[in-house]
Amino acid sequence: MTSFSSSISEQVAARLAPYIGGFNAQMWIKSVARRDLNVSPEELSPAQLAPLVDGLRPFLQALMGRATADDLLQQISREVR
Amino acid sequence: MRFRWLALFPLLFAAAFCAVAWWLLGSEALAPFNYWQRILVRVLGIAGAFAAVSGFDRGDHLRRAWLWLGAGTVVILARDLLRLIPAFEPGTSGPAAQMLVSGLGILSNLALLTGIWMLSRSWKMAAISLPGGRSGALAVAVVTAVLAVAVTAPAGLESARAFAAGDVGSLIYVVSAVVDVITLCLVAPLLLTAVSLRSGLFVWPWALITASQLSWLLYDAAAALQPGLVPAGFPLPDVFRGLAENYLCAAGLAQLLVVRQVRRASVRPASGGLAEIQTHGS
Repeated sequence: MTSFSSSISEQVAARLAPYIGGFNAQMWIKSVARRDLNVSPEELSPAQLAPLVDGLRPFLQALMGRATADDLLQQISREVR
Repeated sequence: MRFRWLALFPLLFAAAFCAVAWWLLGSEALAPFNYWQRILVRVLGIAGAFAAVSGFDRGDHLRRAWLWLGAGTVVILARDLLRLIPAFEPGTSGPAAQMLVSGLGILSNLALLTGIWMLSRSWKMAAISLPGGRSGALAVAVVTAVLAVAVTAPAGLESARAFAAGDVGSLIYVVSAVVDVITLCLVAPLLLTAVSLRSGLFVWPWALITASQLSWLLYDAAAALQPGLVPAGFPLPDVFRGLAENYLCAAGLAQLLVVRQVRRASVRPASGGLAEIQTHGS
């Protein structure tokens, strides 16, 4: 369970890192996981991907605009399992 | 690779401008060359800012920021072009014409300040972790504030005295000095945002807009230099003005390119998008 869950945060971070850097990607995921889902990034389950993506949305929108952020988050929702 | 060219272009432009200005030093052709160079870099700055605007949708925070930067540059370009008309020429214009020219300068400064302020608070909206934490950010802010005051205060005080003595045209320089200090203080969050994003594609617009603001700091420093430190007539402040406007252009283009690259990569099949970013990202 733990290894499967940790791969969710790793997969999302891997898709954000090329744009915002690995450190920021991990910090965003950690922040949303703790604040919105009350779990650590390692405990994220596939069922929590949708709320994680929603929590990341405002951060990405501030940096790349709504339409681009939505495209990227759709890609993440599509590809992360 | 194209981002590196964007970063290099303002430096190459400045080197070419220096070479031609040096060659024309002492000739009557230097003044018109310098004037039209100024118009050209303003136009490039506007093109870059509006290119960035085109990458966003209505209501996006960064669209508004770039719109302010573009609008501010349009207004200052209008002021520069107005000076071609004999009634608005510096030194010979009447009080009404001076007021209009000063008004455009102040409007431009305020618009540019708004744009830079909006960009500088993006890190907070995007919850980006600035390197060095609060103390690091404070240290960089203090250093840039001290530099900004040291560079702009002497000329600002002189202009304030001239304005108090009835020289309306000096008002623009007073406002400009105040706006310069505030804007240069905002270099700190821009720089730290760029450092924080350094391993990602989004470092480019932030690094280039920081370079633009640092060039304005050099412009102020060059304008405040005592006569004799550079060859008489050499337009050193214009070298840095060109650098600042061209880095604004490069930052705007980089902003558009990174946004487009994210969108292109997002609609590609899994891993194809990431591979493209790793190939073209630097």
